[in-house]
Amino acid sequence: MHFTQKLELFPEQHVTQMLFKDVNNAAELRQDAVEGNIHAALINPTMLLSPFQALLAANKAIHSQSIGKMKTRSLNSEIIFNLSPTNNISEAFKRFGISHQDRSLLVVVVHSRDDSEVLSHIAIRVDGQEVPVEEFSSFSDPAKIRKLYKVSPQEESGGLLDAVVCRMATKDVM
Amino acid sequence: MATLQLLRGAEMLKQGAEGRVYRAEFLGKPAVIKQRFPKRYRHPELDEKLTHRRTMQEVRSIARCRRAGISTPVVYFVDYSCSCIFLEEIVDSQTVRDFIASARRSSSRSDQELQRLAELTGRILAKMHDEDVIHGDLTTSNMLLRRSADSSELELVLIDFGLSYISALAEDKGVDLYVLEKAFLSTHPNTEPLFQQLLGSYSASSKKSSAVIKKLEEVRLRGRKRSMVG
Repeated sequence: MHFTQKLELFPEQHVTQMLFKDVNNAAELRQDAVEGNIHAALINPTMLLSPFQALLAANKAIHSQSIGKMKTRSLNSEIIFNLSPTNNISEAFKRFGISHQDRSLLVVVVHSRDDSEVLSHIAIRVDGQEVPVEEFSSFSDPAKIRKLYKVSPQEESGGLLDAVVCRMATKDVM
Repeated sequence: MATLQLLRGAEMLKQGAEGRVYRAEFLGKPAVIKQRFPKRYRHPELDEKLTHRRTMQEVRSIARCRRAGISTPVVYFVDYSCSCIFLEEIVDSQTVRDFIASARRSSSRSDQELQRLAELTGRILAKMHDEDVIHGDLTTSNMLLRRSADSSELELVLIDFGLSYISALAEDKGVDLYVLEKAFLSTHPNTEPLFQQLLGSYSASSKKSSAVIKKLEEVRLRGRKRSMVG
């Protein structure tokens, strides 16, 4: 059910994504994440179209960390920040982080090769039902995504995901 | 340096004066990586500034084109520390150069196909110039054709924005077209009518085209450089 991808740029690092529905303890999880007690990025999946977005965000976060140029305080917050089309940190948390009443959740974990223990340790704290990452699109809210990234119809003709991915990658020069 | 390490194992597609182009898998997708390498003949500090700025300009132009609905490769990731841009690989495509060459060889394929291409190219370039993006290196090798997914219509994809910049000046747009004209007519001899068709489509598509075409005529008489200095 998990989706794990090796990073070509950082062969020691892996990114695993876990998707949950019917989550009952979003508020508690959020508090734990804020206090740094969960070593994962907790993301609101309605703002994402594909696991590829989270992969890109994680890759960029590890890159920024490796050259000492993170914009936020931790790797996990940097992942959330990288998803956002703007450079406003609190805005990024509001849109892409988990909030109290959320029922769905995407957990993104950066870990080394064999870390199944870490993963199950995190998964066990979510009071909800894990679903295959393939079901990603059933959580997405394209209307909200279109609005947040300000994607025009002419740009969307080339595909909404491509438009979003390009915004994420180019936001620091626009 | 993670990126440079990756490039060491990647397949090199091209080497130019400004950089190298590689092909590699990136986050599970086929990608093209453009690297601008340091020039040892320049002062290191100056070199770093120039290289960094050109990388930024390239990324910016691509983003601007995409916003306007012009097809270009998607930017996946930029590593400014080594001036590397990770781009979507445009698969199942053919350069406009090859397309024209093979269309002219086969008599079965009608002129109509070439005319449609000239019309499409003019329209896309007009749109790009209306966004004030100057490509800087327009050639038929820097334009790709692919069949779009939902129809059999040809889609034009502009690539290699390495020399591009943002400018609203008719002069810069005129020179952009002049560079294309030179490249087009020398790569494809005896295609003057086809290029005229391209320009016709450009003029019809852009509101600001008359000033640009006027500049193009000026540039034809004097060449690409405005001043004779340097």
